[in-house]
Amino acid sequence: MAEVLVRTASAPLPRRSRFLGRVLRQPLGLVAFTVLVLLVLLVVFGPAFLSHSPTRTNPLQTLQPPSAEHWLGTDELGRDVFARIVHGGRVSLSVGLFSMLVGLFIGVAVGGSAGYFGGRTENVLMRVVDTFMAIPTFFLILVIVTSFGNHPVTIVFTVGLGFWAQMARSVHAEFKRFKTAEFVEASRALGSHHLRLMVRHILPQVMPQAIVLATLGVGWSILTEAGLSYLGLGIQPPLASWGNMLQNAQAYLFRAPVLAVWPGLFIAITVLAFNVLGNALRDVLDPRG
Amino acid sequence: MKVRGTLFRALVALLFALGAAVATAQDADTSAVLNLATNADPTLNPWTPGAVIESNLINTILFEQLTRYSPEDLTPSPMLATSWQAEEGGLAWVFELRQGVVWSDGDPFDAADVAFTFNDVVLNPDLGAQSASQFSAIDRVEVIDDHTVRFVLNEPFSALPYYLASFAGIIPVHVLGEAENPLQVASFNKGIPVTTGPYKVAEFVPGSFVRLVPNELYWAGEPKLAGMVFRIIPDLNTQVAEAMAGQLDVVTRLSPQNVRGIESTGALEVLRQSQNLFFFVAPNHDDERLADVRVRQAMTMAIDREAMIQAILDGYGEVASGPVAPMLGALFNGDVRQYPYDPEAAAALLDEAGWTVGPDGVRQKDGQRLSFYMPTGQFGDLVPATLLVQQYWQDVGIETDVQVMEWNAYIQDVVLGRNYEVTLAWWSMPPTADVAPYFSCDAAQTGNNIPNYCNEDLDRIMDEGRAALTLEEQADAYGRMQELLAEELAYIYLWWPDILTAKSVRLQGFPEITANAAFQHSFDWYVTAR
Amino acid sequence: MTQYLVRRLGQGLVVLFLVSLLTFFLINLAPGGPSSLVDISTTVAERNARYALYGLDRPVHERYVAWLGGAVTGDLGTSINQGLPVSRLLMQRLGATVVLALTALVLAAGFGVLLGIVAAMNPNRWPDHVVSTVATLGMSVPNFWLGIIAIIVFAVELRWLPASGIVSIGRGADLIDRLRHLVLPASVLAFGLMPNVVRVTRSAVLETKATDYVRTARSKGLPDGKVMRKHMLRNALVPITAMIGLITTVLFSGSVVIESVFGYAGIGRLAIEAANGRDYPVILGVTMLAGTVVVVVNLVVDMLYAVIDPRIRHG
Repeated sequence: MAEVLVRTASAPLPRRSRFLGRVLRQPLGLVAFTVLVLLVLLVVFGPAFLSHSPTRTNPLQTLQPPSAEHWLGTDELGRDVFARIVHGGRVSLSVGLFSMLVGLFIGVAVGGSAGYFGGRTENVLMRVVDTFMAIPTFFLILVIVTSFGNHPVTIVFTVGLGFWAQMARSVHAEFKRFKTAEFVEASRALGSHHLRLMVRHILPQVMPQAIVLATLGVGWSILTEAGLSYLGLGIQPPLASWGNMLQNAQAYLFRAPVLAVWPGLFIAITVLAFNVLGNALRDVLDPRG
Repeated sequence: MKVRGTLFRALVALLFALGAAVATAQDADTSAVLNLATNADPTLNPWTPGAVIESNLINTILFEQLTRYSPEDLTPSPMLATSWQAEEGGLAWVFELRQGVVWSDGDPFDAADVAFTFNDVVLNPDLGAQSASQFSAIDRVEVIDDHTVRFVLNEPFSALPYYLASFAGIIPVHVLGEAENPLQVASFNKGIPVTTGPYKVAEFVPGSFVRLVPNELYWAGEPKLAGMVFRIIPDLNTQVAEAMAGQLDVVTRLSPQNVRGIESTGALEVLRQSQNLFFFVAPNHDDERLADVRVRQAMTMAIDREAMIQAILDGYGEVASGPVAPMLGALFNGDVRQYPYDPEAAAALLDEAGWTVGPDGVRQKDGQRLSFYMPTGQFGDLVPATLLVQQYWQDVGIETDVQVMEWNAYIQDVVLGRNYEVTLAWWSMPPTADVAPYFSCDAAQTGNNIPNYCNEDLDRIMDEGRAALTLEEQADAYGRMQELLAEELAYIYLWWPDILTAKSVRLQGFPEITANAAFQHSFDWYVTAR
Repeated sequence: MTQYLVRRLGQGLVVLFLVSLLTFFLINLAPGGPSSLVDISTTVAERNARYALYGLDRPVHERYVAWLGGAVTGDLGTSINQGLPVSRLLMQRLGATVVLALTALVLAAGFGVLLGIVAAMNPNRWPDHVVSTVATLGMSVPNFWLGIIAIIVFAVELRWLPASGIVSIGRGADLIDRLRHLVLPASVLAFGLMPNVVRVTRSAVLETKATDYVRTARSKGLPDGKVMRKHMLRNALVPITAMIGLITTVLFSGSVVIESVFGYAGIGRLAIEAANGRDYPVILGVTMLAGTVVVVVNLVVDMLYAVIDPRIRHG
């Protein structure tokens, strides 16, 4: 969960190629990376090859076991489970990625400004961060989703909102550290603007950890959307998501438990891969951790 | 021969009655405590706004009503009232009250309690009492003597004794009469209320359970169980898991998907009960495309309701031909126009109405497309049912834009705001054929007539039904009403679902007909010894 | 120190004010209303009567000022759906959540620190990999899913543990019975929290292991176990304490879902019920309570830092 993503201290920025090479030399990281690449390929190109629609219902063919026709069988409304896993993965991965981007963007902007400018700006911005940290994330999301409805864009933004404060805190500390660094001072002496200083000089130093947090954040966002779906507040049908597939499976838990297995498995594998990759990135970027 | 047959039957009946009495006396486990479940903290006052599904059954045990449903045919039978009759051509009803009834705190029950319940609570518009609108035909309740009351009506209301049996518990004037708001007395609603039922509250642990013990002052004698516990378990799967682990004796509103799992334990059996409840797709009659009856008929024929009942209810339900369920016996008329699944006929009818398939596969006429906004709410089976209907309609060239909304938002926007073109929902009604609140012109636009359907012929027939005092007259009026409704399809009727209740095989004396009737007869419940 | 404390308390109050402001206006933007207003068969007349009854016909800002006035004097208002004072509802439910959260915290911290040390003592060897995989799995599985699976396995199939509730009826004082009810929900919660403790412990221990004085102690021939106890854990305590502070907020979030799955009558379930039923005063009460706990815990954690590691000075 976002709040417990560990604050990382910074490390010297490795050259990009070496950096990727070191990640990939971590065996677990490599496996996780491969799994994620495969998943992305599946959800991006998979739908083009599917012969079944993920939303085509057939009440006469419900709860079918796996067959050559339906690789993972059919669900409670006779829809092809494999097609739903592929299309649902598209939605779940998108929610995860975009929520993370929202969190990353707001977190870096707010945390960065607070750390860079200091003084009153810092004080005000950090109180806002504290406020968001003090409302348990799930309550916050719950309140927002019940208030603004469950349109996918709303869900992406709220899940991202559940995650930005942690990012802001971490980025804030780093900006504070680097704003007095020699190369920043030097650039400032040459007359660079604030924005340029922040974006061109400090941000690249902070980015590695932001990337670690962001990687873990994708997994967290996917899990959070699934949790929201359990409470009926996640992505809504007819659109399939792994979260709402898992929710639909609840009613059939004693009758057809396998319906809960597939989306559960895909969520677990995906989130696991993001977490392992995030941890591998952290080991590379900051062995102390 | 005839006499002998009758005599024989009487003898058999007598033997059975004796047998039952003996069995009760010998085999009843009087130390048994029954475990039941509810999904949230109940509010122990049947009239408090918001006291709904989580409170209904426990309140039915605690708060007795003037009448209750007969377990045989659901006609009103005596409870706190022993007899009643209409006067002044149906504009007043006199109820004789039962003698010797005392509240659980020892105070006697009398006419003042009934007058208080209706005059000061139900009919007080400032209190917003739960389901008060069902009693809008009542003008006031007059106390004739300690054990006689007269209900004075604004208009004829032949279904009054039925409605008085439907979550209309009597509350004590000597406890609540002085309260600023008798519906918001916390020590009563969320503590130990004063009641007349066969069991009374001994302990209420919020969020956990409500424990009932026998009411030793009960007018019909001491009940046959040592007590009952209503456990508060919000997650329905957890309720089923508890039942399968042997920790619950009764599970109400069981989902059809869990029937096999429950029955596999051998300790529980599943009852198929009914309720006057129908699922429907409401077409918005303000939309001129839907105002054409042929379109509504085609939309009905395009849906394979049998298959939907199999898929969603696992077969536990029946295709609905109208709003009035077959459980109403004499008042039910099944001999009305039917719309069996026939996509070809549906397509032909749409063609005939001028809606022809356009280049995008969606039917169109004069530049308009047969495409509907179909919002639905997150509740029970509404979402899967909506998705199946969407598919059936797509197959005949009708497009729908399905939007799933959170329940609060759905009520606000769709039910109250009427912001929809078609929507799938249900009505749950007292067991009477008086469906005017859902169909009359009065109820269109603002009331519960969600489709905004208005037909003066229909209104006239429904008024006849309300004024009819004999069952024959009622059956005649309501029979014609059901014919008209099937012809007109004010709503697109889907099904009457079975209401599934799981109960311990050892629990006896539990009427099977409806859950409500079963709980109104909780005095008769007993558990056989192992 | 006192000055620092006063400043932090002041900041905490500002944060709580912002929390209440944000929550109040957000929930009042939500469509629908208290559950009695959105019952499908409620008529317009009934609905209007109830609006007035609950005071919902007044403008939002007016209601907020009234609420704030009450809250300052300790009156959090009355639940719309339950008719009980909000403070009473919170007190009824708080105990259960605290017990659940503390149990989960103890489990997560206990096993987490233990596994973290095991991993750190064998860096990059198989015990490390096993621990890290199990730990990562913990934060990768939806906790409601795990909860339901746990119920099916341990309550329905094996019948070892109860599926739901806090205590069996009529056995209110039975400690063993209470503990049996705690096992499943607390374990599921702890499983999701443990990975962070493992990770922090592992890196803290690894870091201290590399410090000069530990190397010195070891070179003097002290056995590993003793070095561990005397030097390393003490230093590792700082990040672990920080972690436990952060975990508290997560516990509140996690309890929302877990309490629903296990029918556990705590604050989390109260929050869900209140949100679904638009019970405005209760939603506010729960968020304020959670916010207060988080603010206080963070303060205590910072104080603890100072005690554990006197080198840390507050600026």
